[in-house]
Amino acid sequence: MDTLLLLALNGLIWGLIIALIALGLSVIFGLLDIINIAHGDFFMVGTVIAWFTLEATGNFWLGFIAAPLIGFILGALIQRVVIQPVRGVAALSIVATFGLSLILQESVRIIFGPTPRRILAPITSTVPLFGIEYDVYRLFAALLSIAALVGFFLFLQYTKIGTWMRAVRHDRDTAIAMGIPAQRIYILTFGIGFALAAFGGAVAAPIATVDFRGGVDILPFCFMAVIIGGLGNLPGTAAAAVMLAFFEGIIQSVADPTVARIASLALMSAVMLIRPQGLFKGHVR
Amino acid sequence: MSSRASIERVLFVLFAIFMMSVPWSVPALVSSFWVSVITEILIWSLFAASVNLLFGYVGLLSFGQALYFGFGMYGVSIGIDQLHLGFWPVFALGIVAAMTMALVSGVFAVRLTWHYFAIITVVFSLIFYFLAVRLKPLTGGDDGINFSMPPTFTFDHSVWSFTDPTFQYFFILLTVSLCFYLMHRVIHSPLGKAFVAIRDNDVRASLIGLNVYLIRLVAFVMAGFLAGVAGALFAFFGRYASAAYMFYQVSGEGVVWAIVGGAGTLFGPIIGTTLFIIIREVVSTHWEHHALIVGVMAILVVILAPRGLVGLWSDRLDRLDKDAAELPSTQPERVPP
Repeated sequence: MDTLLLLALNGLIWGLIIALIALGLSVIFGLLDIINIAHGDFFMVGTVIAWFTLEATGNFWLGFIAAPLIGFILGALIQRVVIQPVRGVAALSIVATFGLSLILQESVRIIFGPTPRRILAPITSTVPLFGIEYDVYRLFAALLSIAALVGFFLFLQYTKIGTWMRAVRHDRDTAIAMGIPAQRIYILTFGIGFALAAFGGAVAAPIATVDFRGGVDILPFCFMAVIIGGLGNLPGTAAAAVMLAFFEGIIQSVADPTVARIASLALMSAVMLIRPQGLFKGHVR
Repeated sequence: MSSRASIERVLFVLFAIFMMSVPWSVPALVSSFWVSVITEILIWSLFAASVNLLFGYVGLLSFGQALYFGFGMYGVSIGIDQLHLGFWPVFALGIVAAMTMALVSGVFAVRLTWHYFAIITVVFSLIFYFLAVRLKPLTGGDDGINFSMPPTFTFDHSVWSFTDPTFQYFFILLTVSLCFYLMHRVIHSPLGKAFVAIRDNDVRASLIGLNVYLIRLVAFVMAGFLAGVAGALFAFFGRYASAAYMFYQVSGEGVVWAIVGGAGTLFGPIIGTTLFIIIREVVSTHWEHHALIVGVMAILVVILAPRGLVGLWSDRLDRLDKDAAELPSTQPERVPP
């Protein structure tokens, strides 16, 4: 019973972090119509930035600022140089982001080295929770992820730039005719997508390992969340990510992680075949 | 005959002569190591061709072809390692396993298109990748299975087997050529025209009476066949099978090779595969971070040559041909689906 609770909680919290990353993927997918193969590596870059920040300054918390900031700048640059020329042709964007994924992984392997490392959580205490001793850092990570999710939705809903982003996604031509600088919105969106994944990476760094291949396993999971949540349905994506990870956590209490992964993939195929528009009926592009 | 067709014919004959002479000319010019690199290029070209058949001709982007490659590979390896069968039965077993898997997953997958199709194919391949990792006694998991080759032909006194590198090369060359010839025949048959019709506009295709679902399924099984043959040959070539070859990154490489070479052309996948494998082999001996160059190359090609390297080449030839012929370009415009 205790293991079940522990694994379910772990799954829930991991799901919240995945939700952040998947949201970044969904925004890029929805607005630029790009299947971003490099998105898992954006997460990985986030964990590496957190590691370097800790090494350089000795302060773990600075990573929460450095990761999204550097992520945003990198994302904006990448959009301008790599994505812009192939925008609108999805097949080419897959090849371009696949190349990008190789470049990011290999650069990190050169700078950071090939051996996976661990970051010690800045908070190591535990707290009694429903009868088990639970890691405080994980609870803190959950709170941070929820704060970032809420912040992102508020930004999208109530700021001028957020409204512009929604407008360009909804109807690009009309948005341009109304004077919205679509080109700049694309750059901004890609930057935000990268920043969300990198922030997720910084939050997850003490829970996961820091490794140049750390994004490879994350990527299919994020795509599953985007599809199950419904393409373009951002709250649906976040909910699907949490549900999937929670489901995997529960299965893990009776079987090993590989079986749990197989079960969630099977569930995912069933959802796609029965409800290709996603679990949650919503804005379908 | 236009100058373009004659240039391409001459190039094809030169290419064929070169391929026939590889076991002698390549060791003489460079080293015998490159014979095995060329053999590997042949096998992976077939894999890229299976991506190309689906994406370039039917408009379905599969991100899970490694699954059928893996079934071909495991059919051979498990057939030899566990069932102790001979060369031809395991070759058949690998191909049949890949095609059966393609049929079963295709029944579900081809109901979906575009983004959904790309993702359901990758999900199917991931399920079996994790199963292969898990079923260690059968598949060897990540460590893989090593096996020793049974002979291909045994006559009274002489034995022909893959342990002879020249025999191995010609067997693989012949099999891959046969598959490409089959693909060429299919593409120029009424079925191939139906493929292209569906790629260009599936609604119109269904309105002129084509059964879109069934034709997509046929294409999917054919692509499974090509990937399965490639996987079986790869297992013979390496005497080895590993779950790692079923991971989605292998499928992704096939997609990149096909698109960089030129999707929707017969030779595009060969050119893309050759380019990337040669870069890998040349650079990796000098610099361990060769993936960096592969990444930059992939991005440069899609930005500078959106129709792939073959597209670049035929644009150049079209310019050459402009005044010579009224013939319309034989290359269909690649319409993004």
